[in-house]
Amino acid sequence: MLYRVSALWARVEIVAAAALAASVSGLILLNVVTRAMGQAIYWVDEAAIYAMVWMTFLAASAALHYRSAIAVTVVQEFLPQQTRAAMARFVDLVIFVFACLLVWILWRWFMPLELARAGWDVKAFQGATFNFIYAEPTSTLGIPKVWVWLVMVLFTLGALLHATANLLNPHADPGTPTGETS
Amino acid sequence: MTPLVFLILLFASVPIALVLALTALWYIWDSGNLVLYDSYAQQIFAGIENYGLLAIPLFILTGELMNEGGMTGRLVRAARVFVGGFRGGLAYINLLANMFMAAIIGSAASQIAVMSRAMVPAMTKEGYDPGFAAATTAAGGLLAPVIPPSMLFVIYGVLAQLPIGDLFIAGIIPGFILALAFFLVVSLIGMKQQFPKGDWMRPAEALRAIRDALPAFLIPLAIVGGIVFGIATPTESAAVASLIAFLVGWLIYREIAPRDLGKLFVRTAINSSLVIFMIAAANVFGWVVVYEELPQKLAAFIATVTQNPFVFLLIVNLCLLFVGMLIDGIAALILVTPILLPIAMNNYDIDPFQFGVVISLNLVLGLLTPPVGVGLYIASAMSGVRPFTIFTALWPFLLAVAVVLVFLSYAPILSTALIR
Repeated sequence: MLYRVSALWARVEIVAAAALAASVSGLILLNVVTRAMGQAIYWVDEAAIYAMVWMTFLAASAALHYRSAIAVTVVQEFLPQQTRAAMARFVDLVIFVFACLLVWILWRWFMPLELARAGWDVKAFQGATFNFIYAEPTSTLGIPKVWVWLVMVLFTLGALLHATANLLNPHADPGTPTGETS
Repeated sequence: MTPLVFLILLFASVPIALVLALTALWYIWDSGNLVLYDSYAQQIFAGIENYGLLAIPLFILTGELMNEGGMTGRLVRAARVFVGGFRGGLAYINLLANMFMAAIIGSAASQIAVMSRAMVPAMTKEGYDPGFAAATTAAGGLLAPVIPPSMLFVIYGVLAQLPIGDLFIAGIIPGFILALAFFLVVSLIGMKQQFPKGDWMRPAEALRAIRDALPAFLIPLAIVGGIVFGIATPTESAAVASLIAFLVGWLIYREIAPRDLGKLFVRTAINSSLVIFMIAAANVFGWVVVYEELPQKLAAFIATVTQNPFVFLLIVNLCLLFVGMLIDGIAALILVTPILLPIAMNNYDIDPFQFGVVISLNLVLGLLTPPVGVGLYIASAMSGVRPFTIFTALWPFLLAVAVVLVFLSYAPILSTALIR
């Protein structure tokens, strides 16, 4: 069950990342055209960068599900089948620990409890914690940067989901991220 | 303890990005500088908030569009017009087509995949040794990271904070030298073993081949021209190139349609994320490098060996050949640049452009050397020739690259002439 949720979420992440890749191309082309006409739109570059960052973290989380991230496999290839399987379990465990640590780190960064305690009042929150995460602006987009940083939360929750599912289902075949059969 | 954690995770085949991120987490814990945890996630994010990196998905997309759009085959036919009539024509065609492709595709691995599928069966059919055919193709792929555009240069430029356009230009002369060296290798091998005879195309046929390939030539023109003449940033050139690749493939060659784009964007997102995510993780790993003063310590050690920049570069080359054998080229570049570049610039006064060209070419050589020669396995998978057979035919090319590396290390002017 958990594995199917993980697989479904990985699909969603890949589709969203592909849409963001398309928007990166679209935004840069828009920039080329508008600049050639002497009417450059000032926020396009920043939007394109954030689209790329979101694309990266969403697809990176999905890569954990598909176990397709780049790794050094030179030792693994020389090991007997059984040791190799044990090593794969170790990797799953390491990824799970990493996801848990990220949850803790984001908790320290976003401080949701303190924000709630301050009555969702950003000024009072900052006065109490000296954490300015909710006040930081974006350079040109005109929205608080915390909206863009939210991708770290998505990434962390995705990584936790995929890591847990892989840890519990070591023998499941995730297929390939492009949807072709492996 | 930190180096041990790093090595265990790395060789246990944990994804490299997580190795970097986890080593940084461990290091913070170990050094007691716990306040760094508060900015850890922000630092990872900030590592890729960079305009130059936008070129990576765009170049990957251009490569995908080229493959699907039927340009590869037409470029090969055009190359046949120029060198097809010589004895061993197809081997030269292979190299020339690889040069064209290198001016379009930024990654050696994808170029080897594309060209192996296109060239090895054709060469085998005309009577070439399959191992030699696959080796020529795999070596030709090494032109990709040197002849602009180059993914490795984009990444190096971001890490070294150099203008990516200038780096691309710095690669032009070394790219031609490397191509020339490969042509020499092929003709030397041709003297020893008799290559099959080639034949020239009839004029009408030749004209048609060139006409068919002309729209495809627009792409390198847009990329290199846009950058050299300062009309567009590398990122913008890449976007324009992907648009041209799509329009040519769709309207002129009629081999792709807008409905194919979804699949291509999926592959673009997946492949660029693999690379960019490593760069994000490298940003927190940078703390380890900076706080541990790794460059300073290493510099002090190397300074006891030599004061000569050329000797220093030779040592770096030897070490990186070894690193490249074990670690993927892009990952290795992300790892070593922050450590070695400060030494090269501050202690040996080496030009950062020269240094970038040398280490990029060196690390990509690792694609073709066992045990982790990804390019070797790709060429093998695409051509059906055993990796070992390819490797035995490959060594003259590898030797040629080594000689070129020595030249590039010795004479900075080869890399810097066009940008001064």
